[in-house]
Amino acid sequence: MAVSGFEGFEKRLELHFFGDDPVVIDMGLRLLDFESIQEVLDAVQCTVVSAVGNQYFDAYVLSESSLFVYPTKVIIKTCGTTQLLKSIRPLMNYAQDLGLNLCACRYTRGSFIFPKAQPFPHTSFKEEVIYLEENLPINLCYRKASVMPSKMPSHSWHVFTASDQTHLVAQTMPAEITFTMEICMTELDRVLARKFFRRANDGKNGDTAGKEMTELTGIGDINPSAIICDFAFDPCGYSMNGIDGDRYSTIHVTPEDGYSYASFECVGSIYDDHDDIAKMLKKVVQVFKPATFSVSTTCSSHEVWTHVARAIEPLGWKCRSCVMDEFPAAGSVVFQTFTVARRK
Amino acid sequence: MAEEGQVVGCHTVESWKEQLQKGIDTKKLIVVDFMASWCPPCRFIAPILADLAKKMPHVIFLKVDVDELKSVAEEWDVEAMPTFVLMKEGKILDRILGAKKDELQLAITKHATTEPAAPTAETAAPSAETAAKTANA
Repeated sequence: MAVSGFEGFEKRLELHFFGDDPVVIDMGLRLLDFESIQEVLDAVQCTVVSAVGNQYFDAYVLSESSLFVYPTKVIIKTCGTTQLLKSIRPLMNYAQDLGLNLCACRYTRGSFIFPKAQPFPHTSFKEEVIYLEENLPINLCYRKASVMPSKMPSHSWHVFTASDQTHLVAQTMPAEITFTMEICMTELDRVLARKFFRRANDGKNGDTAGKEMTELTGIGDINPSAIICDFAFDPCGYSMNGIDGDRYSTIHVTPEDGYSYASFECVGSIYDDHDDIAKMLKKVVQVFKPATFSVSTTCSSHEVWTHVARAIEPLGWKCRSCVMDEFPAAGSVVFQTFTVARRK
Repeated sequence: MAEEGQVVGCHTVESWKEQLQKGIDTKKLIVVDFMASWCPPCRFIAPILADLAKKMPHVIFLKVDVDELKSVAEEWDVEAMPTFVLMKEGKILDRILGAKKDELQLAITKHATTEPAAPTAETAAPSAETAAKTANA
Protein backbone atom coordinates (compact mmCIF):
# COMPACT_ATOMS: atom_id res chain seq x y z
CA MET A 1 0.00 0.00 0.00
CA ALA A 2 1.17 3.51 -0.75
CA VAL A 3 2.00 5.83 2.14
CA SER A 4 -0.46 8.42 0.97
CA GLY A 5 -2.85 8.94 -1.90
CA PHE A 6 -6.42 9.74 -2.82
CA GLU A 7 -9.00 8.17 -0.54
CA GLY A 8 -11.46 6.26 -2.68
CA PHE A 9 -13.58 4.91 0.17
CA GLU A 10 -16.73 6.97 0.40
CA LYS A 11 -18.82 8.24 3.23
CA ARG A 12 -22.51 7.81 2.53
CA LEU A 13 -25.37 9.71 4.08
CA GLU A 14 -29.05 9.01 3.51
CA LEU A 15 -31.65 11.35 4.99
CA HIS A 16 -35.40 10.75 4.95
CA PHE A 17 -37.94 13.52 5.41
CA PHE A 18 -41.65 13.67 6.01
CA GLY A 19 -44.22 16.42 5.69
CA ASP A 20 -47.94 16.96 6.11
CA ASP A 21 -48.73 18.79 2.92
CA PRO A 22 -49.37 16.38 0.03
CA VAL A 23 -48.63 19.12 -2.52
CA VAL A 24 -45.19 19.58 -1.05
CA ILE A 25 -44.48 15.87 -0.80
CA ASP A 26 -45.21 15.37 -4.49
CA MET A 27 -41.96 17.07 -5.49
CA GLY A 28 -40.60 17.67 -1.99
CA LEU A 29 -36.85 18.13 -1.89
CA ARG A 30 -36.71 18.37 -5.67
CA LEU A 31 -38.13 21.85 -5.20
CA LEU A 32 -34.88 22.93 -3.58
CA ASP A 33 -33.40 25.41 -5.97
CA PHE A 34 -30.02 24.73 -7.44
CA GLU A 35 -28.38 27.56 -5.49
CA SER A 36 -29.40 25.91 -2.21
CA ILE A 37 -27.97 22.60 -3.36
CA GLN A 38 -24.72 24.34 -4.21
CA GLU A 39 -24.57 25.82 -0.74
CA VAL A 40 -24.98 22.40 0.83
CA LEU A 41 -22.22 21.08 -1.40
CA ASP A 42 -19.98 24.02 -0.51
CA ALA A 43 -20.22 22.95 3.12
CA VAL A 44 -19.07 19.49 2.06
CA GLN A 45 -16.40 20.93 -0.25
CA CYS A 46 -17.44 19.48 -3.57
CA THR A 47 -19.09 20.75 -6.75
CA VAL A 48 -21.53 19.58 -9.41
CA VAL A 49 -19.96 18.12 -12.54
CA SER A 50 -23.13 17.05 -14.35
CA ALA A 51 -26.79 16.50 -13.53
CA VAL A 52 -29.93 14.89 -14.88
CA GLY A 53 -33.49 14.41 -13.66
CA ASN A 54 -36.43 12.26 -14.62
CA GLN A 55 -39.96 12.07 -13.26
CA TYR A 56 -38.79 10.36 -10.05
CA PHE A 57 -35.57 11.98 -8.91
CA ASP A 58 -32.53 14.13 -9.73
CA ALA A 59 -29.03 12.71 -9.96
CA TYR A 60 -25.80 14.70 -9.74
CA VAL A 61 -22.26 13.63 -10.50
CA LEU A 62 -20.04 15.56 -8.09
CA SER A 63 -16.36 16.37 -8.07
CA GLU A 64 -16.12 13.79 -5.30
CA SER A 65 -18.87 11.26 -6.03
CA SER A 66 -22.68 11.61 -6.18
CA LEU A 67 -25.90 13.16 -4.94
CA PHE A 68 -29.42 11.84 -5.44
CA VAL A 69 -32.47 13.92 -4.59
CA TYR A 70 -35.88 12.25 -4.33
CA PRO A 71 -39.01 14.03 -3.07
CA THR A 72 -38.55 12.80 0.50
CA LYS A 73 -35.05 11.40 0.53
CA VAL A 74 -31.52 12.58 -0.17
CA ILE A 75 -28.47 10.37 -0.65
CA ILE A 76 -25.01 11.89 -0.72
CA LYS A 77 -21.90 9.88 -1.21
CA THR A 78 -18.51 11.60 -1.15
CA CYS A 79 -14.91 10.39 -1.12
CA GLY A 80 -11.51 11.97 -0.63
CA THR A 81 -11.29 14.28 2.36
CA THR A 82 -14.76 15.79 2.11
CA GLN A 83 -16.63 16.68 5.28
CA LEU A 84 -19.86 14.96 4.38
CA LEU A 85 -21.60 15.27 7.74
CA LYS A 86 -21.52 19.05 7.44
CA SER A 87 -24.33 18.74 4.90
CA ILE A 88 -26.81 17.69 7.58
CA ARG A 89 -27.60 21.09 9.12
CA PRO A 90 -28.04 23.03 5.85
CA LEU A 91 -30.15 20.24 4.36
CA MET A 92 -32.39 20.15 7.41
CA ASN A 93 -32.81 23.93 7.27
CA TYR A 94 -33.66 24.04 3.58
CA ALA A 95 -36.03 21.12 3.98
CA GLN A 96 -37.77 22.85 6.86
CA ASP A 97 -38.36 25.89 4.64
CA LEU A 98 -40.22 23.51 2.35
CA GLY A 99 -42.29 22.11 5.22
CA LEU A 100 -40.28 18.89 5.48
CA ASN A 101 -38.76 17.46 8.65
CA LEU A 102 -36.10 14.85 9.15
CA CYS A 103 -37.43 11.45 10.22
CA ALA A 104 -34.58 9.02 9.57
CA CYS A 105 -30.86 9.10 8.96
CA ARG A 106 -28.38 6.47 7.86
CA TYR A 107 -24.61 6.92 7.68
CA THR A 108 -22.32 4.19 6.37
CA ARG A 109 -18.75 3.80 5.28
CA GLY A 110 -16.03 1.22 4.90
CA SER A 111 -12.55 1.60 6.41
CA PHE A 112 -10.39 4.41 5.12
CA ILE A 113 -7.18 3.45 3.37
CA PHE A 114 -5.62 6.66 4.77
CA PRO A 115 -7.50 7.33 7.99
CA LYS A 116 -4.98 9.89 9.26
CA ALA A 117 -5.66 12.13 6.27
CA GLN A 118 -9.32 12.62 7.18
CA PRO A 119 -10.49 15.95 8.58
CA PHE A 120 -12.79 16.44 11.57
CA PRO A 121 -15.29 14.92 12.25
CA HIS A 122 -14.11 12.00 10.14
CA THR A 123 -10.96 11.44 12.17
CA SER A 124 -12.60 8.41 13.77
CA PHE A 125 -15.97 6.69 13.83
CA LYS A 126 -16.36 7.80 17.44
CA GLU A 127 -16.02 11.45 16.38
CA GLU A 128 -18.46 10.90 13.54
CA VAL A 129 -21.03 9.41 15.89
CA ILE A 130 -20.62 12.27 18.37
CA TYR A 131 -21.11 14.76 15.54
CA LEU A 132 -24.22 12.95 14.33
CA GLU A 133 -25.64 12.74 17.85
CA GLU A 134 -25.15 16.45 18.31
CA ASN A 135 -26.60 17.53 14.99
CA LEU A 136 -29.61 15.31 14.56
CA PRO A 137 -32.92 16.59 15.98
CA ILE A 138 -34.26 14.99 19.14
CA ASN A 139 -37.29 13.48 17.42
CA LEU A 140 -34.85 10.94 15.98
CA CYS A 141 -34.87 9.12 19.28
CA TYR A 142 -33.89 5.60 18.19
CA ARG A 143 -30.19 5.47 17.40
CA LYS A 144 -27.59 2.80 16.88
CA ALA A 145 -23.93 2.83 15.93
CA SER A 146 -21.91 -0.26 15.15
CA VAL A 147 -18.71 -1.35 13.44
CA MET A 148 -19.31 -4.60 11.62
CA PRO A 149 -16.07 -6.56 11.36
CA SER A 150 -14.59 -8.93 8.83
CA LYS A 151 -11.51 -11.10 9.16
CA MET A 152 -9.46 -8.26 7.69
CA PRO A 153 -8.80 -5.11 9.71
CA SER A 154 -8.69 -3.14 6.47
CA HIS A 155 -12.29 -3.96 5.70
CA SER A 156 -14.91 -3.12 8.33
CA TRP A 157 -18.32 -1.61 7.82
CA HIS A 158 -19.30 1.38 9.94
CA VAL A 159 -23.02 2.02 10.38
CA PHE A 160 -24.97 4.66 12.25
CA THR A 161 -28.74 4.99 11.89
CA ALA A 162 -31.31 7.11 13.66
CA SER A 163 -35.07 7.09 13.39
CA ASP A 164 -38.12 8.74 14.83
CA GLN A 165 -41.05 6.85 16.31
CA THR A 166 -43.06 6.36 13.14
CA HIS A 167 -40.27 5.23 10.84
CA LEU A 168 -38.55 2.86 13.23
CA VAL A 169 -39.58 -0.25 11.40
CA ALA A 170 -38.50 -0.10 7.78
CA GLN A 171 -41.24 -0.11 5.17
CA THR A 172 -42.80 -3.51 4.82
CA MET A 173 -45.50 -2.82 2.25
CA PRO A 174 -44.89 -5.30 -0.54
CA ALA A 175 -44.29 -2.74 -3.24
CA GLU A 176 -41.80 -0.95 -1.08
CA ILE A 177 -39.39 -3.64 -0.06
CA THR A 178 -36.27 -2.28 -1.59
CA PHE A 179 -32.65 -2.97 -0.84
CA THR A 180 -29.47 -0.95 -1.19
CA MET A 181 -26.28 -2.70 -2.17
CA GLU A 182 -22.91 -1.07 -1.58
CA ILE A 183 -19.84 -2.77 -3.04
CA CYS A 184 -16.34 -1.56 -2.14
CA MET A 185 -13.50 -3.03 -4.19
CA THR A 186 -9.79 -2.68 -3.51
CA GLU A 187 -6.59 -3.85 -5.21
CA LEU A 188 -8.11 -3.65 -8.66
CA ASP A 189 -6.63 -5.64 -11.51
CA ARG A 190 -3.86 -3.40 -12.84
CA VAL A 191 -4.59 -3.88 -16.51
CA LEU A 192 -8.29 -3.17 -16.04
CA ALA A 193 -7.55 -0.17 -13.83
CA ARG A 194 -5.44 1.39 -16.59
CA LYS A 195 -8.60 1.84 -18.62
CA PHE A 196 -9.55 4.59 -16.18
CA PHE A 197 -6.54 6.74 -17.01
CA ARG A 198 -6.90 9.51 -19.57
CA ARG A 199 -4.46 9.34 -22.44
CA ALA A 200 -2.28 12.42 -22.68
CA ASN A 201 -3.44 14.91 -25.35
CA ASP A 202 -6.43 12.80 -26.27
CA GLY A 203 -8.27 15.92 -27.42
CA LYS A 204 -11.28 14.90 -25.36
CA ASN A 205 -13.06 16.52 -22.46
CA GLY A 206 -14.24 14.86 -19.25
CA ASP A 207 -17.69 14.06 -20.64
CA THR A 208 -16.57 12.43 -23.89
CA ALA A 209 -13.67 10.59 -22.26
CA GLY A 210 -16.11 9.36 -19.63
CA LYS A 211 -18.49 8.07 -22.28
CA GLU A 212 -15.64 6.18 -23.89
CA MET A 213 -14.61 4.62 -20.57
CA THR A 214 -18.18 3.54 -19.94
CA GLU A 215 -18.21 1.68 -23.24
CA LEU A 216 -14.68 0.27 -23.25
CA THR A 217 -14.82 -1.10 -19.72
CA GLY A 218 -18.21 -2.76 -20.07
CA ILE A 219 -19.81 -0.54 -17.45
CA GLY A 220 -22.44 0.42 -20.01
CA ASP A 221 -23.54 -3.23 -20.16
CA ILE A 222 -24.29 -3.55 -16.46
CA ASN A 223 -27.69 -1.96 -16.94
CA PRO A 224 -28.24 -1.19 -20.63
CA SER A 225 -31.61 0.48 -19.99
CA ALA A 226 -30.20 3.13 -17.66
CA ILE A 227 -29.53 6.72 -18.70
CA ILE A 228 -25.89 7.32 -17.81
CA CYS A 229 -24.08 10.47 -16.71
CA ASP A 230 -20.38 9.69 -16.76
CA PHE A 231 -17.21 11.68 -16.31
CA ALA A 232 -13.50 10.94 -16.63
CA PHE A 233 -11.21 12.97 -14.37
CA ASP A 234 -7.78 14.23 -15.36
CA PRO A 235 -5.29 12.49 -15.21
CA CYS A 236 -7.33 9.52 -13.99
CA GLY A 237 -10.49 8.56 -12.15
CA TYR A 238 -14.05 7.99 -13.23
CA SER A 239 -17.55 8.55 -11.93
CA MET A 240 -20.95 7.63 -13.22
CA ASN A 241 -24.58 7.75 -12.19
CA GLY A 242 -27.15 5.54 -13.89
CA ILE A 243 -30.83 6.41 -13.70
CA ASP A 244 -33.49 3.87 -14.55
CA GLY A 245 -37.05 4.78 -13.55
CA ASP A 246 -36.91 5.46 -9.84
CA ARG A 247 -33.66 3.58 -9.34
CA TYR A 248 -30.12 4.84 -9.33
CA SER A 249 -26.80 3.10 -9.65
CA THR A 250 -23.44 4.72 -9.19
CA ILE A 251 -19.81 3.79 -9.80
CA HIS A 252 -16.67 5.63 -8.71
CA VAL A 253 -13.12 4.61 -9.56
CA THR A 254 -9.73 5.59 -8.14
CA PRO A 255 -7.41 3.57 -10.39
CA GLU A 256 -3.95 4.42 -9.09
CA ASP A 257 -1.76 1.50 -8.16
CA GLY A 258 -1.09 1.25 -4.43
CA TYR A 259 -4.50 2.55 -3.41
CA SER A 260 -6.79 1.52 -6.25
CA TYR A 261 -10.47 1.45 -5.36
CA ALA A 262 -13.82 1.18 -7.07
CA SER A 263 -17.32 1.31 -5.67
CA PHE A 264 -20.64 0.21 -7.06
CA GLU A 265 -23.95 1.00 -5.45
CA CYS A 266 -27.48 0.35 -6.58
CA VAL A 267 -31.01 -0.04 -5.30
CA GLY A 268 -33.32 -2.83 -6.21
CA SER A 269 -36.45 -4.61 -5.11
CA ILE A 270 -36.65 -7.97 -3.39
CA TYR A 271 -39.00 -8.95 -6.19
CA ASP A 272 -36.37 -8.41 -8.84
CA ASP A 273 -35.43 -11.50 -10.82
CA HIS A 274 -32.65 -13.26 -8.87
CA ASP A 275 -30.81 -14.08 -12.06
CA ASP A 276 -30.78 -10.41 -13.00
CA ILE A 277 -29.26 -9.47 -9.66
CA ALA A 278 -26.66 -12.21 -10.08
CA LYS A 279 -25.85 -11.13 -13.64
CA MET A 280 -25.40 -7.56 -12.52
CA LEU A 281 -23.05 -8.56 -9.68
CA LYS A 282 -20.98 -10.73 -11.99
CA LYS A 283 -20.61 -7.91 -14.52
CA VAL A 284 -19.53 -5.46 -11.83
CA VAL A 285 -16.75 -7.61 -10.40
CA GLN A 286 -15.58 -8.58 -13.89
CA VAL A 287 -15.04 -4.92 -14.79
CA PHE A 288 -12.57 -4.46 -11.95
CA LYS A 289 -11.41 -7.93 -10.86
CA PRO A 290 -10.48 -6.72 -7.37
CA ALA A 291 -8.32 -8.83 -5.10
CA THR A 292 -10.58 -7.94 -2.19
CA PHE A 293 -14.04 -6.50 -1.91
CA SER A 294 -16.96 -6.13 0.44
CA VAL A 295 -20.67 -6.19 -0.24
CA SER A 296 -23.07 -4.55 2.15
CA THR A 297 -26.80 -5.02 1.67
CA THR A 298 -29.40 -3.05 3.58
CA CYS A 299 -32.94 -4.32 3.44
CA SER A 300 -35.94 -4.76 5.68
CA SER A 301 -36.18 -8.38 4.62
CA HIS A 302 -33.55 -11.09 4.88
CA GLU A 303 -33.18 -12.43 1.39
CA VAL A 304 -31.01 -10.40 -0.91
CA TRP A 305 -27.64 -11.08 0.66
CA THR A 306 -27.92 -14.79 -0.02
CA HIS A 307 -27.70 -14.18 -3.76
CA VAL A 308 -24.40 -12.41 -3.49
CA ALA A 309 -22.05 -15.28 -2.65
CA ARG A 310 -23.91 -17.59 -4.98
CA ALA A 311 -23.36 -15.21 -7.89
CA ILE A 312 -19.75 -14.39 -7.11
CA GLU A 313 -18.09 -17.56 -5.90
CA PRO A 314 -18.26 -19.35 -9.27
CA LEU A 315 -16.12 -16.55 -10.69
CA GLY A 316 -13.15 -17.22 -8.44
CA TRP A 317 -13.67 -15.29 -5.23
CA LYS A 318 -14.47 -16.78 -1.88
CA CYS A 319 -16.67 -15.34 0.84
CA ARG A 320 -14.42 -14.90 3.89
CA SER A 321 -16.84 -13.34 6.34
CA CYS A 322 -20.50 -12.58 6.75
CA VAL A 323 -22.06 -10.62 9.58
CA MET A 324 -25.58 -9.29 10.02
CA ASP A 325 -27.08 -6.69 12.31
CA GLU A 326 -30.38 -4.82 12.69
CA PHE A 327 -30.64 -1.04 12.70
CA PRO A 328 -33.45 1.47 13.34
CA ALA A 329 -35.27 2.45 10.11
CA ALA A 330 -32.77 0.61 7.91
CA GLY A 331 -33.67 -2.96 8.75
CA SER A 332 -31.02 -5.65 8.30
CA VAL A 333 -27.52 -4.81 7.22
CA VAL A 334 -25.46 -7.75 6.01
CA PHE A 335 -21.74 -7.21 5.49
CA GLN A 336 -19.75 -9.77 3.51
CA THR A 337 -16.16 -9.77 2.34
CA PHE A 338 -14.59 -11.66 -0.53
CA THR A 339 -11.04 -12.35 -1.60
CA VAL A 340 -9.61 -14.24 -4.54
CA ALA A 341 -9.92 -17.99 -3.99
CA ARG A 342 -6.78 -19.93 -3.22
CA ARG A 343 -5.24 -16.92 -1.47
CA LYS A 344 -3.67 -17.63 1.94
CA MET B 1 -38.69 37.62 -34.25
CA ALA B 2 -34.92 37.55 -34.49
CA GLU B 3 -33.60 36.88 -31.03
CA GLU B 4 -30.00 36.19 -31.78
CA GLY B 5 -27.71 35.77 -28.85
CA GLN B 6 -30.48 34.52 -26.57
CA VAL B 7 -32.20 31.28 -25.68
CA VAL B 8 -35.70 31.64 -27.10
CA GLY B 9 -38.54 30.14 -25.13
CA CYS B 10 -41.24 28.37 -27.18
CA HIS B 11 -44.50 28.62 -25.28
CA THR B 12 -46.92 27.41 -27.92
CA VAL B 13 -46.88 24.61 -30.45
CA GLU B 14 -47.20 27.25 -33.17
CA SER B 15 -44.12 29.18 -32.10
CA TRP B 16 -42.23 25.89 -31.81
CA LYS B 17 -43.08 24.93 -35.38
CA GLU B 18 -42.25 28.46 -36.50
CA GLN B 19 -38.80 28.27 -34.97
CA LEU B 20 -38.10 24.85 -36.49
CA GLN B 21 -39.10 26.18 -39.89
CA LYS B 22 -36.89 29.21 -39.41
CA GLY B 23 -34.00 26.85 -38.79
CA ILE B 24 -34.71 24.93 -41.97
CA ASP B 25 -35.02 28.15 -44.00
CA THR B 26 -31.82 29.68 -42.67
CA LYS B 27 -29.90 26.37 -42.56
CA LYS B 28 -28.73 27.32 -39.07
CA LEU B 29 -27.95 24.82 -36.32
CA ILE B 30 -30.80 24.57 -33.80
CA VAL B 31 -30.10 23.62 -30.19
CA VAL B 32 -33.22 22.69 -28.21
CA ASP B 33 -33.18 22.56 -24.41
CA PHE B 34 -36.05 20.38 -23.18
CA MET B 35 -36.34 21.50 -19.58
CA ALA B 36 -38.74 22.13 -16.72
CA SER B 37 -38.97 25.26 -14.62
CA TRP B 38 -38.69 23.32 -11.35
CA CYS B 39 -35.81 21.10 -12.41
CA PRO B 40 -32.53 21.89 -10.56
CA PRO B 41 -30.31 20.05 -13.07
CA CYS B 42 -31.81 22.35 -15.74
CA ARG B 43 -30.98 25.36 -13.57
CA PHE B 44 -27.40 24.11 -13.30
CA ILE B 45 -26.83 24.33 -17.03
CA ALA B 46 -29.05 27.33 -17.84
CA PRO B 47 -26.35 30.00 -17.39
CA ILE B 48 -23.93 28.00 -19.50
CA LEU B 49 -26.46 27.70 -22.29
CA ALA B 50 -27.26 31.43 -22.10
CA ASP B 51 -23.56 32.15 -22.38
CA LEU B 52 -23.19 29.93 -25.42
CA ALA B 53 -26.18 31.66 -27.03
CA LYS B 54 -24.53 35.02 -26.53
CA LYS B 55 -21.28 33.83 -28.06
CA MET B 56 -22.90 32.06 -31.01
CA PRO B 57 -25.54 34.28 -32.63
CA HIS B 58 -25.36 32.16 -35.77
CA VAL B 59 -26.96 29.26 -33.87
CA ILE B 60 -30.63 29.14 -32.88
CA PHE B 61 -31.13 28.28 -29.20
CA LEU B 62 -34.62 27.17 -28.16
CA LYS B 63 -36.08 26.31 -24.78
CA VAL B 64 -39.11 24.02 -24.41
CA ASP B 65 -40.75 23.56 -21.01
CA VAL B 66 -41.98 19.95 -20.96
CA ASP B 67 -44.94 20.87 -18.75
CA GLU B 68 -46.01 23.70 -21.04
CA LEU B 69 -45.62 21.79 -24.27
CA LYS B 70 -46.41 18.23 -23.18
CA SER B 71 -47.26 17.06 -26.68
CA VAL B 72 -43.95 18.26 -28.09
CA ALA B 73 -42.01 16.61 -25.25
CA GLU B 74 -43.80 13.33 -25.90
CA GLU B 75 -43.29 13.57 -29.63
CA TRP B 76 -39.58 13.96 -29.02
CA ASP B 77 -39.37 11.12 -26.46
CA VAL B 78 -38.11 13.33 -23.67
CA GLU B 79 -37.76 11.18 -20.54
CA ALA B 80 -34.92 12.82 -18.67
CA MET B 81 -34.09 16.46 -18.17
CA PRO B 82 -32.48 18.41 -19.43
CA THR B 83 -32.40 16.79 -22.86
CA PHE B 84 -30.62 18.68 -25.63
CA VAL B 85 -31.37 18.01 -29.28
CA LEU B 86 -29.16 19.45 -32.00
CA MET B 87 -30.53 19.60 -35.51
CA LYS B 88 -29.95 21.16 -38.86
CA GLU B 89 -32.29 21.33 -41.83
CA GLY B 90 -34.76 19.01 -40.21
CA LYS B 91 -32.21 16.30 -39.35
CA ILE B 92 -31.24 15.35 -35.79
CA LEU B 93 -27.46 15.54 -35.40
CA ASP B 94 -27.08 14.80 -31.72
CA ARG B 95 -29.02 14.18 -28.55
CA ILE B 96 -27.52 14.79 -25.12
CA LEU B 97 -29.19 13.45 -22.00
CA GLY B 98 -28.40 15.42 -18.88
CA ALA B 99 -26.63 18.65 -18.01
CA LYS B 100 -23.14 17.91 -19.32
CA LYS B 101 -21.30 21.17 -19.89
CA ASP B 102 -18.31 19.98 -21.86
CA GLU B 103 -20.17 17.53 -24.06
CA LEU B 104 -22.78 20.16 -24.90
CA GLN B 105 -20.23 22.79 -25.74
CA LEU B 106 -18.24 20.41 -27.92
CA ALA B 107 -21.30 19.20 -29.82
CA ILE B 108 -22.59 22.71 -30.49
CA THR B 109 -19.21 23.95 -31.66
CA LYS B 110 -18.77 20.94 -33.89
CA HIS B 111 -22.15 21.10 -35.58
CA ALA B 112 -22.29 24.88 -35.83
CA THR B 113 -19.39 24.84 -38.22
CA THR B 114 -19.92 21.74 -40.32
CA GLU B 115 -21.76 22.26 -43.59
CA PRO B 116 -24.92 20.97 -44.42
CA ALA B 117 -26.32 18.12 -42.34
CA ALA B 118 -25.60 14.72 -43.88
CA PRO B 119 -28.70 12.55 -43.82
CA THR B 120 -28.28 9.54 -41.57
CA ALA B 121 -30.66 6.71 -40.75
CA GLU B 122 -32.91 7.20 -37.73
CA THR B 123 -32.34 10.93 -37.55
CA ALA B 124 -35.29 12.24 -39.51
CA ALA B 125 -36.75 14.86 -37.21
CA PRO B 126 -40.50 15.48 -37.00
CA SER B 127 -41.27 17.87 -39.82
CA ALA B 128 -42.31 21.36 -38.85
CA GLU B 129 -45.44 21.10 -40.95
CA THR B 130 -46.93 17.93 -39.59
CA ALA B 131 -47.38 16.99 -35.97
CA ALA B 132 -46.58 13.32 -36.55
CA LYS B 133 -43.00 12.11 -36.69
CA THR B 134 -41.93 11.39 -40.22
CA ALA B 135 -40.93 7.83 -40.89
CA ASN B 136 -37.22 7.09 -41.23
CA ALA B 137 -35.93 7.19 -44.75
